[in-house]
Amino acid sequence: MTELERALLRLGDELAFPETPDLAQVVLGRIGAVPRRRWPLPSRRMLAVAFVVLLVAFGAIMAVPAARTAILDFFGLRGATVQRVETLPAVPRVPAATARALELGTPVSTPKFAGLLVPEALGAPDAVYFSPAVPGGKVSLVYEPGGGVPVSQHTGVGILVTEFRGDIEFRFVEKWVAGSTSVERLTVDGSPGLWVEGGPHFVLFRTEDGEFGEDSARLAGNTLLVERGSLLVRIEGDIDRERAVAIAESLEP
Amino acid sequence: MGDRPLADDDLVAQAKQGDTRAYGTLVEEHQTIAFRTAYLITGSAADAEDAVQEAFVKAHRALGRFRPGAPFRPWLLSIVANEARNRRRSAGRRERLALRAAEDPLSGGAVPSPEAALLDAERREELLVAVNDLREDDRLAIACRYFLGLSEEETAATLDWRRGTVKSRTSRALDRLRERLGVEV
Repeated sequence: MTELERALLRLGDELAFPETPDLAQVVLGRIGAVPRRRWPLPSRRMLAVAFVVLLVAFGAIMAVPAARTAILDFFGLRGATVQRVETLPAVPRVPAATARALELGTPVSTPKFAGLLVPEALGAPDAVYFSPAVPGGKVSLVYEPGGGVPVSQHTGVGILVTEFRGDIEFRFVEKWVAGSTSVERLTVDGSPGLWVEGGPHFVLFRTEDGEFGEDSARLAGNTLLVERGSLLVRIEGDIDRERAVAIAESLEP
Repeated sequence: MGDRPLADDDLVAQAKQGDTRAYGTLVEEHQTIAFRTAYLITGSAADAEDAVQEAFVKAHRALGRFRPGAPFRPWLLSIVANEARNRRRSAGRRERLALRAAEDPLSGGAVPSPEAALLDAERREELLVAVNDLREDDRLAIACRYFLGLSEEETAATLDWRRGTVKSRTSRALDRLRERLGVEV
């Protein structure tokens, strides 16, 4: 060992590492107290995808005038796009009481959705909805507030997990962000994802007739979008990035 | 099991059988090296804590895939480092490593030798600055090998490099430090 190496070893002893937090309890809490519930295996029928909903995305963007002029940045994942615009269109906030009925579809007990994932970190959802309104269908897992998760002013629930078929070759979720809202690229278990945080952002779902109509648009809070296999998973709630990533990482078939 | 602390192998085997207390022991035994590894990568105690917590949860989930008899520490550290890198990428910043205030300055009176000169507080600070200024790969190689005391193999597993890469980057980093410090060693 050279003199320099010895000096480096000594230096290591002198480094001001922060005190190690005691993690055993919190880790054991997370691995030991996770309720597990599995749905019966989803039907393996191939999803009949009606491509009548195909529409050129640009046409859809034009449908909401306020964002027409300045699309500044573009972030893409399969099945979703996030656009940075100068200003968000004026959309009335969805009253919490009606938010659940909005966009989610029909309540179901056993969603017929190939490859459905459930976040074990959250356990069994309080309600499940299925909507055929987007190509390949859309499943929404609704979690009530609790466990440190407040009610979201944008959805009226705690956490909303939405799953789409992300392998279908066109965009059916659009998000527009503006101002202080930040968009970060990240990876979750090796899969690409986007974290949208800060001010509310504008989210649009393509509807059966193929348009991103204002009827289907609403403001959304902090959201993680992540690809998992053939699915695009969207996790929305008044939670921070770490929590959202932990939820995404716990997604299991 | 008597007073003898259980080896990692035994604890891992028990944890695989669903013994969460055994896993808790593994967490306690490895959390310091895991936290320091994550801290060296993220430069943030908060991010490091998150990364390590997440890594332990993931490692537990992946225990079924852990090869019996393989060393647990490098396997764990590879998960920790991956989590830490993800957070660092998201945060897009790195704080500088800091020295603890020298509690016990070098004893005076000794005849200054080249070694003593290197260990002098001022030189230590200079060395730290030089390490902080290294390119990221070099800095991590130095940090893993000398600050965390990881073997070449463990460093390779942690940073997901080949062992030869660890060797070459460490050697390159040492050369750069020598150049920077004007040390003829």
